[in-house]
Amino acid sequence: MSTIEHDEAAIVIIGSGAGGGTLAYELTAKGLPVVVLEAGPYLRNEDYVNDEWEAFNQMAWLDPRTTSGSWRIARDFPNLPAWIVKAVGGTTTHWSGATPRFKAHEFAARSTYGRIDGANLLDWPITLAELAPYYDKAEIAMGSTHVHGRKPLPANNNYTVFANGAERLGYKFYSTGPYATNAEEYDGRPASIQDGFNFQGDKNKSKWSTLVREIPRAEATGLLDLRPDSHAVQITHDASGRADAVLYLDKDGNLQRQAARLVAVAANSIETPRLLLQSASPMFPDGLANSSGQVGRNYMRHTTGSVYARFNDPVRMHRGETMAGVIADESRHDPDRGFAGGYFLETISLGPAFLASFSDPGAWGRGFTEILEAYANTAGLWIVGEDLPQESNRVTLNTTLSDKNGLPVPNVHFDDHANDIAMREHGYAQAELLYEAVGSVGAQRTPPYPSTHNMGTSRMSARSEDGVVDKWGRAHDVPNLFISDGSVFTTSAAANPTLTIVALAIRQAEYIADQLKTGGI
Amino acid sequence: MAFPAKYPQMNATELTDEARRVLIRVIRVAFPHPSFPDAPYERTADTILREAESSTWFRVALTQGLITLSHLAGGDFRTLNDEDGTKVLRRIETTEFFGFIRRTTVLNLYDNEDVWKILGYEGPSFDKGGYINRGFNDLDWLPEARIESYDGPEQLIEVATSASVAKIRGGENTPATERDTSNQPGKRDATMMEMTK
Repeated sequence: MSTIEHDEAAIVIIGSGAGGGTLAYELTAKGLPVVVLEAGPYLRNEDYVNDEWEAFNQMAWLDPRTTSGSWRIARDFPNLPAWIVKAVGGTTTHWSGATPRFKAHEFAARSTYGRIDGANLLDWPITLAELAPYYDKAEIAMGSTHVHGRKPLPANNNYTVFANGAERLGYKFYSTGPYATNAEEYDGRPASIQDGFNFQGDKNKSKWSTLVREIPRAEATGLLDLRPDSHAVQITHDASGRADAVLYLDKDGNLQRQAARLVAVAANSIETPRLLLQSASPMFPDGLANSSGQVGRNYMRHTTGSVYARFNDPVRMHRGETMAGVIADESRHDPDRGFAGGYFLETISLGPAFLASFSDPGAWGRGFTEILEAYANTAGLWIVGEDLPQESNRVTLNTTLSDKNGLPVPNVHFDDHANDIAMREHGYAQAELLYEAVGSVGAQRTPPYPSTHNMGTSRMSARSEDGVVDKWGRAHDVPNLFISDGSVFTTSAAANPTLTIVALAIRQAEYIADQLKTGGI
Repeated sequence: MAFPAKYPQMNATELTDEARRVLIRVIRVAFPHPSFPDAPYERTADTILREAESSTWFRVALTQGLITLSHLAGGDFRTLNDEDGTKVLRRIETTEFFGFIRRTTVLNLYDNEDVWKILGYEGPSFDKGGYINRGFNDLDWLPEARIESYDGPEQLIEVATSASVAKIRGGENTPATERDTSNQPGKRDATMMEMTK
């Protein structure tokens, strides 16, 4: 691994997940040395444990956060708005793997859906056609099944229930993917052994993550200076308003300064705006790159919910790939259903420990224990759909509460939009019909989990007054500052975000390399 | 939260053996699993007692709560049947006392091999080679399902024809000046009326 001097003005990437890890690999592959600051430790695949709470405590971002707003999370999990990872590889180390693409109209949500009260809709400054070649590259990198010649994963028990229900309900567009886990050996990594532990880190390395692909390949170039346990706290700038360094806390809590010629922030959609807000200065009084006032706003977390259905016969949903089952029929935009945008249905499974905590938070008594008693005969699916950006759904600094380093903790405020609620209700009803079609004897509507999909808090916009970054993820206000994670999503679309984050990062790397060569940055 | 120092005698509050036995009964009434033996409930009660040891506030809440429970039960909570016990717990379910028991039980009762086996969950699997050869696809009461993408005659209609502005989707064919792409009030305010209620 290379070492870059602290006073050498470097390309500094903050975060090593889907955005940061991909950007680091793509830039080093083009011969550009980079420093990656990763807040979490360097966990390896062999460190992971097949145990829900133990793995959660090992991997999750547990630094204190606060919540407000009418979302149920603020009541049930007031200090855990998001369920994401703090470790090398970021949240790609616990994601499930579904990789649908965004649809053409989802890049043009404002002009397709029209004006919706309370929603801060905006078209993306890019189109599907522009991103399509990068979707190809991302799918090939990640080994998505069902595309580019990759075999589909086999059906596990949970999928067999799900797909039969889909077929009987008249759905057509279901399959075991696309899903970024190997059905057969690919890219130097083995086929899935269907161990059922996706959210706990994949010990077998069959699932794509930046931990198994981009980080080691960037290291192999000799151009990566990866610094785990390095938590960025401020981006500083020079007299001309260009970013010139990143201040970060090392493992021992000592403040370090890394000089920078370019900074790319990929810290996930809560920490990214937190860092920009913490970087306020007399020249940028509302936070770095925030002349639009949009930093931290338009926080999106997808409209989600789960249904766990009980049957008379065994399902054993815990055996096998957790989310290798996708139904796309409801992912269309059809206002006749009573809401704008669409949603996917995807298989999901939890063990008893997590099912107890998340299936109906706050519940007890016989109604609750029946859910657990039926565990072996239970099938589960997850609703994941587009949620609408709202200016008031927002990450701010909580000035009344500080973390162990004395920094203000982020507060996440969220209210469901009426559109989100209508979509969730539709999804619940369809899911119950699906399971009834294959003989379910009861079903539990489970509310959204702490957010795994976090988007929109530094959004992309054509005009600098509408958003934080341009179509390359480059800050409108600071020429050598980039955002490289899901924060840049102008709208959320229905699809799981990881594929799109990776595609955007590959595209951004080309742009950065080109601009550095031509003096454009 | 520490109990106010003004009442130091409260910090001396201790939980008796009898209190432990009431607690075990409370957990079983609140989380009834006929198939569970006593051991998981006892283990959970002991976890709650340990947690209470580390927090004066919880210890006080727990001690006082268990005493009050006996008053509500008209003597001894343990003598109530499941139905009557549940009624008493419903009356106190919003208290800090019950919330502490409920949270700690949910987090711990189901996080142990002793109940996983009973529920049909098999625990860690990687060391056993996953389920690839151990029944990940052994469901036999439904037909085999298609795993490939649909390749029939139908296309997914991404934007329903009923969507009034569908024709400008993507916008590439429309001059930029005619597109309504921002969050500013625009000429298409009348669209999506059903959403503006």
